[in-house]
Amino acid sequence: MGEWHRVAAEEDLQPETPLAMRIGETEIAVIRLPDGIFAVNNVCSHEYALLSEGFCEDGKLECPLHQACFDVRSGQALSAPATIAIATYEVKCECGEIFVRV
Amino acid sequence: MRRIIIIGAGQAGRRCAEMIRELDAAAEIMVFGAEAHLPYDRPPLSKSVLLGQSVLLGQETQGSLFVRDAAFYVQQRITLHLAEAVTCLWPTEKRIETVKGRSFHYDVLVLATGAKARRLALPGADDPRILTLRNLDDAMALKQRLALKPRLAVIGGGLIGLEVAASALQMGASVNVLEAGERLMARSVPTAISHRMAALHRRHGVMLHFNAQVSAIATSEREVLLHTNTERLAADLVVVGIGGIAETSLAEAAGLAVADGILTDASGRTSHADIYAAGEVARFAQRFYGAAPLRQETWQIAQLQPLAVVRAICGQEKAYDEVPWHWTDQFDWNVQILGTPTEQLHQIERQEGERLTLLALDDDGALRGAVLINNGRDATPCRRLIAGGKALDAAALTDNALPLRSFL
Repeated sequence: MGEWHRVAAEEDLQPETPLAMRIGETEIAVIRLPDGIFAVNNVCSHEYALLSEGFCEDGKLECPLHQACFDVRSGQALSAPATIAIATYEVKCECGEIFVRV
Repeated sequence: MRRIIIIGAGQAGRRCAEMIRELDAAAEIMVFGAEAHLPYDRPPLSKSVLLGQSVLLGQETQGSLFVRDAAFYVQQRITLHLAEAVTCLWPTEKRIETVKGRSFHYDVLVLATGAKARRLALPGADDPRILTLRNLDDAMALKQRLALKPRLAVIGGGLIGLEVAASALQMGASVNVLEAGERLMARSVPTAISHRMAALHRRHGVMLHFNAQVSAIATSEREVLLHTNTERLAADLVVVGIGGIAETSLAEAAGLAVADGILTDASGRTSHADIYAAGEVARFAQRFYGAAPLRQETWQIAQLQPLAVVRAICGQEKAYDEVPWHWTDQFDWNVQILGTPTEQLHQIERQEGERLTLLALDDDGALRGAVLINNGRDATPCRRLIAGGKALDAAALTDNALPLRSFL
């Protein structure tokens, strides 16, 4: 099931401004949406690019290279050229700290 | 039940087929393609296919080239006739004939025949060491030749030529690029960007030659000699990247209106009822380019114009109206071009370290085009600003601290 890792203080995460980090070998993007904080794999499933460098809006994260779009909540690929979902990770907040299970 | 035949099994043909199925559960859908491969997307051909990189992370190479596997077409009841080129079209009889001598009746026909690579019109241009890059077999053949680390000459400093140059250099070839004009990517970007592209290529060791129109080719067993006005360049391998020619021969022979592309409206309707043109073979007027009809060879047009075609076929009209967008990946640069960032527009550069967004505004202060270097985050704000067309505060745009989305 993976282990919980502290990734940031809640106050450091601005709305729809992805926070990029690496946990072991895994690239993660942590994103604050109106209904909570979500974590997804930060690497586009189409070609290598960090999604945190892309545009984020309405719960969607857009790849900076070729504009493939992903649902931050589910990881689903919403538009071409990507067709494969990105992984999502469990997030919990405790005493103002954000933890991600990887 | 109506039968819809799609001629051309490339990206546009695939898009038409799969979207027809979405809107019409009953239609019989047949796709004819000259190549033996399943439909694939072309952008990786000049980059990751040559470099042998896995296109789809964690999956087999060529994964994302094909987008859909064979099972998808079966499940969607889309009949693929691959390696079966269509040789004749009779619009009045609504009938086609294929290279295998088979004849098929259609109710609706979509021509998604794409384009072919333009070749050099010079004696000697048919030498087997002079290649073009258009389809997957071209790319695989080129990849094999590049593995020998040849002295490569690329003719044409446009997108394809430069992508091949960058890939070849990374594979260990020595690379010369011969551009007939004065600067790189002149059709896509303003001079300020051309200069940056030239610096990028020189930094990696590509040798660039400008005003270098190839006027003669001399071949020997040892090498190919390219003559320009000012020099003579020896090469083991030559790649010609000087644009594409619309594949209109079927349409022309059938009497459809054709002029460097099949003339259509913004939903792909040709001059003949029940015949549509999809993807880069279609030439039509678009508001972001002014009144003159034009033809684009981009992933975007192959991906999204078929949607307009299919909607017209299925009685759910929604004409094509996208802000033009294309990209190129060269070395470690991703360059995206939106709208029409032409030279004469007022240019504003927003640079942040290695990242650049160049904005091109008209006299009214409306954004008409943009070029992004490693700055894809700005693509969606730029697209919306171009589509909206409202006047912007040029002085404020120079302030990097203000994100582009704040101008929406």
